[in-house]
Amino acid sequence: MSEIPQSLFWILIFPGFLFTVVLGLVASWIVRKTSALVQWRVGPPLYQPFVDVMKLMGKEILIPQDAQRTVFLAAPIVGLAGVLLLSTMLWRITIDPTRPFVGDIIVAIYLMVLPSLALILGSSASASPHAAVGASREMKLVMSYELPLVLAFVVVIIKTGGQISLAAIAGHVPVFSVSGILAFLVALLCVQAKLGFVPFDIAESDTEVASGVIIEYSGALLAIWKIMQAMMLVALPLFLVMVFLGGFGTAGWPLVWGIGKYVLVLVLLILIKNTNPRLRIDQAMKFFWGYCGLTLAIAVILAAMGNFYHIGWL
Amino acid sequence: MNWKIWSLKKSPWVFHVNAGACNNCDIEIVDLLTPKFDVERFGIKLVGSPRQADALLVTGVGTRQAAKRLQEVYRQTPKPCVVFAIGACACGTGIFSNGYHVVGPVDRIIKEIDPNAIIAYVPGCPPKPEAMISGVVKALSAL
Amino acid sequence: MRDAYCDDNRCEIMNQEELNNKLLEIKDKLTGIERKSDKRIYLLCEVENSYAVNKFLFEDVGCRFVIATGIDSDNCFEVLYHYSYDETGCVITIKAFIRDRQKPAIQSLTPFLPAAEWIEREIHDVLGIDFKNHPNLRRLILADDWPAGVYPLRKDLS
Repeated sequence: MSEIPQSLFWILIFPGFLFTVVLGLVASWIVRKTSALVQWRVGPPLYQPFVDVMKLMGKEILIPQDAQRTVFLAAPIVGLAGVLLLSTMLWRITIDPTRPFVGDIIVAIYLMVLPSLALILGSSASASPHAAVGASREMKLVMSYELPLVLAFVVVIIKTGGQISLAAIAGHVPVFSVSGILAFLVALLCVQAKLGFVPFDIAESDTEVASGVIIEYSGALLAIWKIMQAMMLVALPLFLVMVFLGGFGTAGWPLVWGIGKYVLVLVLLILIKNTNPRLRIDQAMKFFWGYCGLTLAIAVILAAMGNFYHIGWL
Repeated sequence: MNWKIWSLKKSPWVFHVNAGACNNCDIEIVDLLTPKFDVERFGIKLVGSPRQADALLVTGVGTRQAAKRLQEVYRQTPKPCVVFAIGACACGTGIFSNGYHVVGPVDRIIKEIDPNAIIAYVPGCPPKPEAMISGVVKALSAL
Repeated sequence: MRDAYCDDNRCEIMNQEELNNKLLEIKDKLTGIERKSDKRIYLLCEVENSYAVNKFLFEDVGCRFVIATGIDSDNCFEVLYHYSYDETGCVITIKAFIRDRQKPAIQSLTPFLPAAEWIEREIHDVLGIDFKNHPNLRRLILADDWPAGVYPLRKDLS
């Protein structure tokens, strides 16, 4: 019986909702401040993302007349639930790796799709032509990067000898090998697309489709979307760290190393974001299916060969 | 103090509306939102839809055709919101007072549908970006 | 730029001398030629000949249409068509005088110059000059609820 309050505590306070939201908003501040410094300006103060969310909570919610109300209202909540579960699961595995089945890599991949799906559903229910264009672009983008993302994880699974449990994968450091590096780079770009950062912020492109997918959302619903994006900024780099860079420790030096690895992934994302223009959707599709697919095919072959002939660095 | 107004002051998201302007003020507003003037330190961000905006930057004398559209945009902005009348034309029709198409300055058009609207004036032809920043900051601190 | 609309057998490239001579070909349709300066020529004509003069200038001489202007003068309406001859930088304006003030009307240039469609619509909107054979003479710049038949840029409007 004490399982339920304990699980609720894990999901809602630590390391679930409250912890991830706070961490996520701080991470989004890091992104904005670093982008500002790269552009030689000052940038927002630390409390800015928190105040943004607070302000959105205080505004009225306007729902367009022709919108599909149920889907319109439910989509942000579904997306939030997906990211919340993913984040809780990843942190639980980090903190307590010996616990029986909390989730493995397949559950993580499945949960990672939910926010993008919710975005597509929510914008399709908005009854606005801008949102429709944004939804169609987001659909094409998701179709492009999901396959390379999963293939990158397959490379890791091959390298760790068929493990799918995240705790076991976190023990290895696949990035110290040729196929691992290739897979890590491709996965990094796929995460860039999933987070909606330039050069892949095609769905939410401000200047092209007047903020695209979430154009009709206002007030508390928009706050939920912003919180969801902030939480993805915690969950997805953490996932990359666990799968490719050897996990996140919980005490002493491993903890500091873990934070360093997380910050490294974040910095890579920010650098790519600030030095690139936005791609068109057909360029993005060609990129993911063509270049990334080719790279991953080579990586899979190298990983299989390395496994078969017991060559560690392949 | 009301937490809604406080958070509105700290994070005003702007949407730009042209109600019949000669585009001079519009160019200055676009200049304002470039990294050189760094309005992000005040939390100001340009959004693509009035539904996500807290402040409407309205330029232009209100022409007959634009008046109804401006009212519609104002209605689509979730309250609480602030309207900034940018430029001499928006503040009081400027040199176009006797034009055949002019339906009165922006504040008259907005007050027609919402007598309690919060309207701030930034005069100039066009106002410099520094003047606009100063106007926005003064208006927000007076809220 | 010229090759886009000027094919070889239609118009050859001329210098200013040849241009001046070429313009004399249509002298019989004009009521006057004014040269304000070396590169600024006004061709004056009545409303009946404006279509022919415009066609000559666009197709035979090979000028580029720039814009049109409508004027409410004391005793007549005027419609000015401005052309540019890019080879020499000469600007040629055709002034068509419309003497009938009650029902001003002129031939539209859209059959051979589709680019004139919107500017003729605008002149019709604010001055009330009717363009015959115009494909689409609807309201362009006035507000939707502006009363029809009231032309704001006419001098006699109070």
